[in-house]
Amino acid sequence: MGAFHCAVCRQTFFCGKKHIFGKSHQSRLKVVILKFIEKVKEARRTIKTPQVERFDGTQHGGTFWCYCCGIEMEKNVTNGNVVVLHGGLLEHMATPEHKKNTQRFWWEYKADPKLMDKVLITTEATDRFKVEVDKALASYVEKEDTILLQHTHMIQCQERHRLEVLQSFTEPEVEQELSNGGQSQGTPVEQAARPLGSKERAGPSRVNAKADGAGPGKGLTFIGHQDPSNDGNVHTGALPPWLQGDPLKEGSEGAEVGPSLQDFLKHKEQEKVKKLPPNRVGANFDHSSQTNADWLPSFGRVWNSGRRWQSRNQFREEEGKKKREKQGESGDSKRMKPNP
Amino acid sequence: MSLFLPKLSSKEEVDGAIKGVAEKVLVLRFGRDEDSSCLQLDEILSKTAHNLSNMASIYIVDVDKVPVYTRYFDISYIPSTVFFFNGQHMKVDYGSPDHTKFVGSFKTKEDFLDLVEVIYRGAMRGKMMIKSPIDPQNIPKFDLLYHGI
Repeated sequence: MGAFHCAVCRQTFFCGKKHIFGKSHQSRLKVVILKFIEKVKEARRTIKTPQVERFDGTQHGGTFWCYCCGIEMEKNVTNGNVVVLHGGLLEHMATPEHKKNTQRFWWEYKADPKLMDKVLITTEATDRFKVEVDKALASYVEKEDTILLQHTHMIQCQERHRLEVLQSFTEPEVEQELSNGGQSQGTPVEQAARPLGSKERAGPSRVNAKADGAGPGKGLTFIGHQDPSNDGNVHTGALPPWLQGDPLKEGSEGAEVGPSLQDFLKHKEQEKVKKLPPNRVGANFDHSSQTNADWLPSFGRVWNSGRRWQSRNQFREEEGKKKREKQGESGDSKRMKPNP
Repeated sequence: MSLFLPKLSSKEEVDGAIKGVAEKVLVLRFGRDEDSSCLQLDEILSKTAHNLSNMASIYIVDVDKVPVYTRYFDISYIPSTVFFFNGQHMKVDYGSPDHTKFVGSFKTKEDFLDLVEVIYRGAMRGKMMIKSPIDPQNIPKFDLLYHGI
C-alpha cells in the first residue's frame, strides 16, 4: 500500500484506492469530466467548418488543461497572422498518447466508460478537419485580398478628388489673393498653380489654408495677420499675458497674496466669538465704537431704581448742577457734599 | 502686589478698558495703593490674576485720579470692586446693602475665584444680576451713607 495521489480530489491517500468509490470522489469526477466534455464539444463543432481569423493576441492566446494527460495545451493554432480556433485541442486529441492517457485515466479513477468516447477524437475526424482547414485558409486569404483591394481603391479615389478640388481652387483664388494684398503666400501660390499637376504633396495643405481665408462667402471673416514680433506667440512658447506683471499695479501692492497676519488673527478671534452663547450679556456691544470724553458706561447707581440709562441721566444732571453752582456765587451755602 | 497688576490713571484709560475687554469679566478695583485693605485686596487679585486670565481682566484704579467715576459709581468706601462684562455693569447680591460693587477685601483667594466664576457663568447666560457664592459672614460689613439730604 503506497502513497496514491488522486489528481481529481487533489489529495494523497495512503489506504489504497477505496476512496474512489466514495461519494466525494465520484461527484468531483463528474464535474471535471463534464467541463472537459463541454470544451471538446465546442471543438468538435468546428471540425466541419473551421473558423479562421486574424490573430489577435488578447483573445486567441488561451491554453487549456487536459486532465487525461496532465498537461497544458494551446487551444488555438496560429502562425502569427492567422489563427485556427480550437486547432490545438483537436490536434492533441488525435494523438495516440492522448488516447492511452485517457484510457488509463478512466481505469484509475473509475469514471463512467460511456463518457470516454466523448473525450476522444478519431484520426479520421482530424484528417477531415485538416482538409477543411486548408479550404478555410484559402477562402480567408481571398477575403483579405478583396478587402485590401477595396481599401486601395478608396484611397486612390480620395487622392484624385483632392487634386481636382485643388485645381478648381487655384484659378479663382489667384485674383482674390492679389486683392487682399499683403499676404505673403499670394505669390508662391500663383507660382505653384502652374506646376500643380506634379506637386501633389503641397496640394491638400494649401487647399485647407486657402479655404479658411476664402472670404465671407465661407462663413469666416478675415481680421488680419497677428504680428507677434515683440512678445512671442503661444507657438513659440512665450509667457502668457496673465502671468506677465501688470505695469499699472506693479510696485504698489507688492507680492502679498491673502490676508495679513493681523487680519488672520482677527478672523480667528471672530471664529471663537461666534461659538459663544448668543444671549450672553453685552453680545451686541460694539467694542470699537469711538466715544467722546463725556461717555459713561451703563451703571445702575446705588440710589436708583429703574432703568440704567436713567441713572446716567441723573448723574449728568447732578454734574450739571454742581458746575453751575461752582460757577455761581461762591458764598452760597447750599452745596452738595461730594462723596469721599 | 499692585505692582503686578495693570493700572489705569485717567478716565480715557478706564473707558478704553470698559469698551475694550471682550468676552471676559472686567474687574476694576477702586482704591488707593497705600491703604491697608487695598493692599490686602491687591495681593489676592495679583495672585489669582494668572489663573483667571481666560475669564477675567483685572485693573487697578486710583480713586483720586478719576473723580468722575468715583462719583458716578458712588464709591464711598475703599477698596470697591466693580465688575463689567462686554461693557455692561454686572450687579451681584452679596448680602450687603450695595449690589453695584463689592466693598472691602476678600477673606480668601477661593472666595474671589468663586465670585469671578459665578459672574462669568451668569454673564454667558445673559444675566446682569447674580447671587454671590461667598458666605455672607465673610463679606465686610458697612453702612450705606444716605445720598444728599
